[in-house]
Amino acid sequence: MNFTTIYLLMLLIFAVGLIITPVLCKKLKVANLFAHGIALLGSLAAVLCASFVFVTGPQAFSLPLYLPFMAFSVRVDYLAAYFLAIIGLVGAAASIYAVAYGREYFKRRFIVMAELYLAFLLSMLLVVSVSHVFAFLVVWEVMSVASFMLVGQEYDNPVSTKAAYLYLVMTHIGTAFIMTAFLLLAKTSGSMEFAELSALGADTWTKNAIFLCALIGFGTKAGLIPLHIWLPKAHPAAPTHVSALMSGVMLKTAIYGMTRFYLEFLGVGPAWWGGIILLFAIVSAVLGVLYAMMEHDIKSLLAYSSVENIGLIMLGMGAGMVLMSNGLTTLAGLAWAAALFHVLNHAVFKALLFFGAGAVISVTHTRDIEQHGGLIKVMPYTAVVFLIGAAAISALPPFNGFVSEWLIFQVLFNLPAAIGGVLGKMVAAVLISLLGLTGALAAACFVKAYGMIFLAKPRGNKAEQASEVSGFMLVPMFLMAILCLVLGIIAPKIMVLLRDILAPFFSEGVLDSLVNSAWYVLGFQQGQVSAGLSLPALGVVFGAGIVLAAIFYLLNGLGKSETGETWTCGIVPNARMEYTATGFSGPIRRAFGKVLLPQTEKVINTNTSPYSGWRVIYEVHITHVVDELVYQPLNRRIVIASRFMKEIQTGSVQLYIGYIMAVTIGMLIWSTRW
Amino acid sequence: MISTYLIYLLGKALVLTALAPLVAGIIKKVKAFLQNRRGPGLFQLYFDIGKLLAKDSIISPTTSWIFTVTPFIYFAAAFGAAALAPVVAEVFFGTTGWQPDLFMLLYLFVLSRFFLVLAGLDAGSSFGGMGGAREMFVAVMVEPALLLASLTVALRAHSTNLTAMTLSAQTGFGGLSAIFAATAFFVVLIAETGRIPVDNPDTHLELTMIHEGMVLEYSGRRLGLIVWAVATKQLVLLVLFAALFWPFPLIIDSVAGQIVWLIVKVVLTAIALALTEMLANKMRLFKVPGFLAVASLLALLAIVAQ
Repeated sequence: MNFTTIYLLMLLIFAVGLIITPVLCKKLKVANLFAHGIALLGSLAAVLCASFVFVTGPQAFSLPLYLPFMAFSVRVDYLAAYFLAIIGLVGAAASIYAVAYGREYFKRRFIVMAELYLAFLLSMLLVVSVSHVFAFLVVWEVMSVASFMLVGQEYDNPVSTKAAYLYLVMTHIGTAFIMTAFLLLAKTSGSMEFAELSALGADTWTKNAIFLCALIGFGTKAGLIPLHIWLPKAHPAAPTHVSALMSGVMLKTAIYGMTRFYLEFLGVGPAWWGGIILLFAIVSAVLGVLYAMMEHDIKSLLAYSSVENIGLIMLGMGAGMVLMSNGLTTLAGLAWAAALFHVLNHAVFKALLFFGAGAVISVTHTRDIEQHGGLIKVMPYTAVVFLIGAAAISALPPFNGFVSEWLIFQVLFNLPAAIGGVLGKMVAAVLISLLGLTGALAAACFVKAYGMIFLAKPRGNKAEQASEVSGFMLVPMFLMAILCLVLGIIAPKIMVLLRDILAPFFSEGVLDSLVNSAWYVLGFQQGQVSAGLSLPALGVVFGAGIVLAAIFYLLNGLGKSETGETWTCGIVPNARMEYTATGFSGPIRRAFGKVLLPQTEKVINTNTSPYSGWRVIYEVHITHVVDELVYQPLNRRIVIASRFMKEIQTGSVQLYIGYIMAVTIGMLIWSTRW
Repeated sequence: MISTYLIYLLGKALVLTALAPLVAGIIKKVKAFLQNRRGPGLFQLYFDIGKLLAKDSIISPTTSWIFTVTPFIYFAAAFGAAALAPVVAEVFFGTTGWQPDLFMLLYLFVLSRFFLVLAGLDAGSSFGGMGGAREMFVAVMVEPALLLASLTVALRAHSTNLTAMTLSAQTGFGGLSAIFAATAFFVVLIAETGRIPVDNPDTHLELTMIHEGMVLEYSGRRLGLIVWAVATKQLVLLVLFAALFWPFPLIIDSVAGQIVWLIVKVVLTAIALALTEMLANKMRLFKVPGFLAVASLLALLAIVAQ
């Protein structure tokens, strides 16, 4: 069994799924099990491919397609294998989940959705493994179009359609930039194969152009602010298992692309490249989480939180590039390792949170967290795993989010080594404090989300009638929750893996000091700088604390616990006395008023009974600055410009024939000039 | 070795946890003295906790297991923070390859806050939600200031390792920078320990309370654990201030001498806290960002002045 066989087997599995699923359109239950079973198998095959590479070393093969410029060449090095494993892992979980979630779509174009799901998953696996420019662009486009159609799955809903078209436009602007970057690179290196792509021979302007094109192109896909506007609209519109894949995994293909460009193709660049990335990254992190904090739609909240996490990942990448350009290779390696570790962690906990959100939506039929509440009593298992996801994304120890955030903190802390003097210290201090702000806001955001969805009394009758979801949904959630904990504990082992992944892009041996000999310590040593984190040691201390608390609790016996209503100053408590999500985020909305520009609407209806008081409807909307200041004016200009185009596009066939004539004559005259 | 080091950490946590109510008592006593009252005895909080730990509890039917387990997590997080607190420059354990880290300590506080706010929301009263919302708001404002202030020491030590930071803070006077950093951290200390002018630990007035709002539904043994944990957290922050930010270092070679000096510093800081509480008024909630912004700016100045 060699690598090529496994890889082709994976493609075969998906091909079988894509061909057979439409045949089963009369038996939806069978089709559901079959299509998602195939997706599960294919994802596991991808994980197998990745493990094969990790065991035996990088693999590559090429199949001729007999097309000009085209070759189906596959090269899975450690980096590609890492992303392949992440996609396979989350894809496998999403496929199990989809079996339960897909049932809701039996009456709504189920077969189309299943087909697109398979195509989407396959295209993502191909994006990270093909190694030919044209093949990459083709599978990238397939991925974009498949996800566009999945976003527009509910095309009878105008909101979905609008989100889908916005996504389509944005992703194509991005693809245009990616194409430019690749073509510039291919021109300078004279080859279309990834292995031979290199910007070494290029002049500074070309290099800068490639850098910027790749940043804009992949940044659009990753949802970097200000290119993010499609993301919070598109991710919630898709079916939940697809949202999980889009947020958890599809964004990471953009990170994969950037890593290829900045680490492999472009080589060491000037420090300002990293500086620009750091700037956009920190803006994305802070604004992303602020908007997430203000959201009441659970899926939009998670989508904005993805913007934040992409910001965190790119903080690591940007710092890596700054350190690299100053020759601090070990620290640069640490920075890239932090970024790649967060890629894995975010994929795991974001998928978990989307699964949890989907479970909640599937029983309450609303995405508005103001109408949830009290679900911890009726959905005990979902509540546990969602709590773990929320804790992990808020970077609480001992979960995986904490470890990667700690690494990013360490990387930023070491920036003064690259940028000397007061400026370096200031940059490090400001970035770290903003990262701390992001962390605090993320914790506030997920406390809000968890509190509103699961705690206190149900706020609406939909939440009252909820019940626990089926095992097909619970199993993938539990798997992801366990991974959140395990990845935190075995972080030192992951560090070894990340060192191997990054080693080919660095000189021999410079990354060895990133790994510690002790299994319980995640640490590094670089000259004067050393740092260490030991979650097992923390676990011992924390566990001792729990035991001590239990001892004090039981010192005087178990005691009696009486049931007594919540104190509400003597009134019978009801759900309307609870704090709402709007109220919970109120102080923060007010403090960041200059950024969020909140607008309050208050409608007071005095035409009610004089004894029961007035009826007040209170609404707050925040302003998405980038959206309203950049995109909407731009949109208006484009609409005005297209009105002029309308003058010459009348729809009359004769006129079009006239145009063709005119162009032909023009071309003839132009060609005879020489 | 790691095992001896762990035993040392646990011992340190036990001592700090045991002493925490006493330090809270000192603050209360000083405040009472300044207000011309006699005030409760120094050991009153021990009696309070002891009594609470023997009492039965009333639990609202609205609550879930989050409410039930939070006191244990809150206590364990405070205990863990006490284990990591930099009491002396622990150079004698230099070979374990691992020492407590600043970010780890700070994120333990985040962990405890996360669960306490959830518990506040769990009972479903307006008070819990209000306290929780305000707590998260203050936390969002405190976090950048706290990190900036800690960075002044960490950047000087070239490490976020608490042992290295303690060593660096105790071996040289940082000049103006150290004074700025100390002021900044003192402001953060006030906010993090929930004292006037940010929060008032003595009131149950719904318009002003933050911490008390969240724990309003707790009673009996669970309340006892929370009260103790709050005192422990306060002592850990005081120790952090004394070990890292005390602007005028005194180089002492013996470990015993270092510990005595630390105790003096902690008591002096506690008295300073009591004095501030006496002299300041409770601030409007929306003035707090400005108050903490001053701390952030001071810390930035401290970094520049290094």
